[in-house]
Amino acid sequence: MVGERSLPAVEAEVQEVGRSIHGAFPQRTRHPLRALDQKAMELASQDQELRAALFRFVDVTPACRNLDDLARHLTDYLDEVEGRPPPIAAAMRMSGTKPGRAALGAAAAAGVRHMAHRFIVGETPKAALKAIRHLWEHGAAVSLDLLGEATVTQAEADRYAARCMDALETLAEAAPRWPDRPALEADSLGPLPRVNLSVKVSALSPLLRPEAPEIGRDDAARRMHPLLVRAKELGAHLHIDMESVDTLEATMELVFDMLDSPELHDGPSTGVVMQAYLRESPDQLERVIAWARESGRRPPLVVRLVKGAYWDHEVVEARQHGWTPPVFEQKADSDRNFEALSRRLLEAWPHVRPAIASHNLRSVAHAVAANREAGREDRDLELQVLRGLGDDLAAALADLDMRVRIYCPVGDMVAGMAYLVRRLLENTSNESFLGDQQRGVPIEELLAAP
Amino acid sequence: MNFRNEPILELRRAPVRESLLAALRDLDARLPLDFGGDGATFESTDPGMPDRVVAVASRASEADAAAAVEAAERGFREWSSRSAASRAEVLRGAAAQLRERRLELAALQVRECAKPWPEADGDVCEAIDFLEYYASQAAALEGGPGLIQVPGERNAMRYAPRGVAAVIAPWNFPLAIPCGMTAAALATGNAAILKPAEQSPASAGALVEALHAAGVPADALSLLCGFGEVGAALVRDPRVHVIAFTGSAPVGLEIVRASAETPEGQPHVKRVVAEMGGKNCVIVDADADLDEAVPEIVYSAFGYAGQKCSAAARVLVHEAIAETLLERLAGAVEVLRVGQAEEFATEVPPVIEREAQERVMRYRELAGPHLAAEAQPVPERGWFAPPTLAAGLPEDSPVNREEIFGPLLSVTTVRDLDEAVEIVDSLPFALTGGLFSRSPATVERIAARLPVGNLYVNRGITGAMVGRQPFGGNRRSGIGSKAGGPDYLLQFVEPRVVTENTMRHGIPVE
Repeated sequence: MVGERSLPAVEAEVQEVGRSIHGAFPQRTRHPLRALDQKAMELASQDQELRAALFRFVDVTPACRNLDDLARHLTDYLDEVEGRPPPIAAAMRMSGTKPGRAALGAAAAAGVRHMAHRFIVGETPKAALKAIRHLWEHGAAVSLDLLGEATVTQAEADRYAARCMDALETLAEAAPRWPDRPALEADSLGPLPRVNLSVKVSALSPLLRPEAPEIGRDDAARRMHPLLVRAKELGAHLHIDMESVDTLEATMELVFDMLDSPELHDGPSTGVVMQAYLRESPDQLERVIAWARESGRRPPLVVRLVKGAYWDHEVVEARQHGWTPPVFEQKADSDRNFEALSRRLLEAWPHVRPAIASHNLRSVAHAVAANREAGREDRDLELQVLRGLGDDLAAALADLDMRVRIYCPVGDMVAGMAYLVRRLLENTSNESFLGDQQRGVPIEELLAAP
Repeated sequence: MNFRNEPILELRRAPVRESLLAALRDLDARLPLDFGGDGATFESTDPGMPDRVVAVASRASEADAAAAVEAAERGFREWSSRSAASRAEVLRGAAAQLRERRLELAALQVRECAKPWPEADGDVCEAIDFLEYYASQAAALEGGPGLIQVPGERNAMRYAPRGVAAVIAPWNFPLAIPCGMTAAALATGNAAILKPAEQSPASAGALVEALHAAGVPADALSLLCGFGEVGAALVRDPRVHVIAFTGSAPVGLEIVRASAETPEGQPHVKRVVAEMGGKNCVIVDADADLDEAVPEIVYSAFGYAGQKCSAAARVLVHEAIAETLLERLAGAVEVLRVGQAEEFATEVPPVIEREAQERVMRYRELAGPHLAAEAQPVPERGWFAPPTLAAGLPEDSPVNREEIFGPLLSVTTVRDLDEAVEIVDSLPFALTGGLFSRSPATVERIAARLPVGNLYVNRGITGAMVGRQPFGGNRRSGIGSKAGGPDYLLQFVEPRVVTENTMRHGIPVE
């Protein structure tokens, strides 16, 4: 039992680990450009209307035909913001003339591209190789995530699968030339692949229907299977992302079906995701652990624990249909569940490999402490962050020789940015850790038990 | 008002789906359902398997219609004398009955109307909503609106029921639409005679059972299953006061004409509430989010095989993105699942009957060289019509102008949104419309110019919810009333004002 019994002891360790991670954060002054970004996000995080306007703008950018069109959309959205900060008022004044709009459009487009470079590691896997190697050299592994439009046709699903294949090949070709990083390449259960790709089931089939999961599952399976086979040949890791509850059943069944097949019994390394904001997540995790225990598949399944990125979608959908939302509505409930699931995951080792994906200092510190408390090495716990949001945390963790992986979106700088708006939303929500950090919340509060 | 929509079933949960399949097995064991009497009968059949008889129903004659009106006159006296609150309680009781039977009633629609599960369940919920919503509305209406009062007089306005209401209902929402019109008539104190579509007598039968069981007197509500001549007899009958109709434009216009007659012995002018067809357009601007627009358009056009008056029939797309949209729409149409309504994977079920199938195929022929995509093959048995996408048809093609009421969507490229508005404006219908745009200024400008009764922005154009999207069209789509809205019940009542002098010889007695 990693659970209740050892809680008080873990708590002291949590505080200590948390403080050491906090102390290892890079100083802001070393990253003048990043400080500027933070400033912009701070501005947005303080004003909900402004935030909505900026997100709507980022969202529409790829569909705008020219600078004038861009500027019109921007001012259209800003027009709905009350009590404009001075930079916004200036933008509105510029929009009165055509040259003014052209200048404003150019500035706004540059702004989106600048921001995109923070979140998107490259336009293609090949273009991202340099940045990926750089991260590796600095002590962080990556998992690539291919951004793209929603899949509504078979051709789009085929294209996504082809991009996944290309990503596997490209990474596998380059990875052997990376320098040795023992901390990232093995845990006490064995070697860990250098190549790591995250895939989305909804992108692998246009047929995912919440009321008929088997149709989408089967259609996605015929594209997933070659990817798994190739990943096995290349010694790569394939991680199946989790999306909204609408595709949950299809996703879980797809994973179990695929991995139960005899030819995939001894590889590749694969992973699934558990979302702690789901009320049903404890049951799901039990199901995953039971499966991993029974199947005896090797290498062990990686289980990435996240808070979940579809909170608004889940709540709004449930409210519109008169359902009880499937997610915890209080952040503290999600955070408590996150810790409970972390402990359960650690307890299930070595049947599964735990990966804790969070930007919440408390959640991360808790997992590290609980892992140590269970008598394991730090390298038996993977910590994951999002590119652009968790970079400082990743640097701090790497500095402390923790095993850290950065989830890196790859895709078109402009269109890709629109797909990332959801993650931005999470970041600038008032409750987010990064926001707290910016506002100088004391460490005691950041590390308080949820 | 304390109304909330009945929650739809969470079909993404496997146990919920299993409970519906179990209800269908139970229903199948009881088929055919018996709504027959001693006289002539007719059958309703499963559109997906036409030799399966779902129900046997009495076939009402014109004499039956006359007898029903006579009973309704009797029933009216008692029913109208009750308070709105007591009638509301009865309607809420009927809602409870439907709620109790909702799995079975959804299964019945799957069989009788080939309505896929999500839509069958939605229809049952909407029926419950109508009962609850109009019950509350009628209770609130009873007090009448406030009037200006000055010293020495007392002014009061109240709403009285009109009398006998004939409800003529379609099959495409086989429970919700008959229920909405009947509930509105009953809630406001009228007697009602329900004449359902001949394709769906069993759903209507279940509704009338629920209302009677909840306490609506037999005379105040009767069911007349049968064909057109029964409806026509009701419309003509001089003792009928209100005709509530939902169906095609030709029939609706005929009802408007016929009910305008005021023969000798008919002291009143009839009131007609008519919801008719549509030729609903979705406008897609250059800045639209196609990831959202494509699935929403496809569902709006092909959900329930396009057999909703609100369904999308046309897409008017800005030339800047026309090619991309058409390519993605085509791909999305090709992967549509055509099949039996009882299969959860089915997105496009068969159409209601052979005639409907033939009609859709005729329009498909007309679209001929302009076919852009289709989902083939479709099952041979059953009244299946392949989901079809056409593009670039001339503006005057019947495919672009007439209501098809089937799975056929026509895409037209426009230079700009002004041209799109002109096209919408040139159509005789004005029921629903859609607009995909991410510019608030465009949304405001276009919304102000479209004549449609229900405009949906950046979402699908079907699925109006009671109390949230009061539903009804303008022009030849309807007479302007809004089902499930705050003013719908006013169609079923006549306003009366009483002004009383409260002065007695110069002294106010109040």
